[in-house]
Amino acid sequence: MTRGDLLIVIAVAGFALLAVPVAGVALVQPAEGAVFSSPAGETRVALDAPGRYQVAGARGTVTFEVAEGQVRAIAAECPDGLCVNSGVARPGRPIVCAPNGVSAALTGGGAGELDAVSR
Amino acid sequence: MRSLADTGPGRLAATTAALLALAVVLGYLEAVLVPPLPVPGVKLGLANLAVIVALVRVGAARAAFVSLGRVLLVSLAVGTLGGPAFLLSLGGALAAFVVMWALSLRATSFSPVGWSVAGAAAHVTAQLFVAAALAGSPAPLALLPLSLAASLPFGLALGFLARTVLSRLPELSLSVAGR
Repeated sequence: MTRGDLLIVIAVAGFALLAVPVAGVALVQPAEGAVFSSPAGETRVALDAPGRYQVAGARGTVTFEVAEGQVRAIAAECPDGLCVNSGVARPGRPIVCAPNGVSAALTGGGAGELDAVSR
Repeated sequence: MRSLADTGPGRLAATTAALLALAVVLGYLEAVLVPPLPVPGVKLGLANLAVIVALVRVGAARAAFVSLGRVLLVSLAVGTLGGPAFLLSLGGALAAFVVMWALSLRATSFSPVGWSVAGAAAHVTAQLFVAAALAGSPAPLALLPLSLAASLPFGLALGFLARTVLSRLPELSLSVAGR
């Protein structure tokens, strides 16, 4: 092995380390908006517009809050309130109130997770 | 190292064809027999052995023929020709060849071990960029650190193997020519 070869080995190992931030950027793709779905249709909002949105469902109204670039359900006219306890919506993981037919999903971003790997 | 370039066009063509056949067989065997490694995009890269030997023995143009011909023929054999897997292989092979060829121009500074390590790194990097372009998302690049790190031992192992093969190749060539 020549000194040049050794430099290549060190360079590749260095690039592998330097690529760690690139991987982080590739994985984190911020969502741009949210879409509230109900039997009546869809409502799209931007995540940089904080506010509360009432979405009428089949059995009652679900209130969503957009704040600090996140969406969460804060109130629901249902006995269980499962959607209220679901936390914030994530890319690919919407908040769903199935009996009401209401959901809130993020748009424009991605979790960066791979669905499948082929070779 | 002695080149075959001055031993006649017939022998040169035969050696190139033999190296292409070797690359195809190694690539095909790896594709169908070796189970996928835990790191996506990283392979043993056995076929690269023939490309390194070709770079030393038959020159850059014929080595490029071996490298790209291998991609075409193996894709044809395993049924991926024209698909995403073919584009990934083509991108990886092209990048690996260009890097190895550039290093081979400085033969006093870099040996086939270095070419192999750099070629393996270029191969996985190019594949991930092609995958990102095909997917329309930078998500595949998240594998870059892991893939580069995994390419290092395989590149080293193949480089040492290529060096061993090259040190014994003149005897092999003579025995073939003696028939």
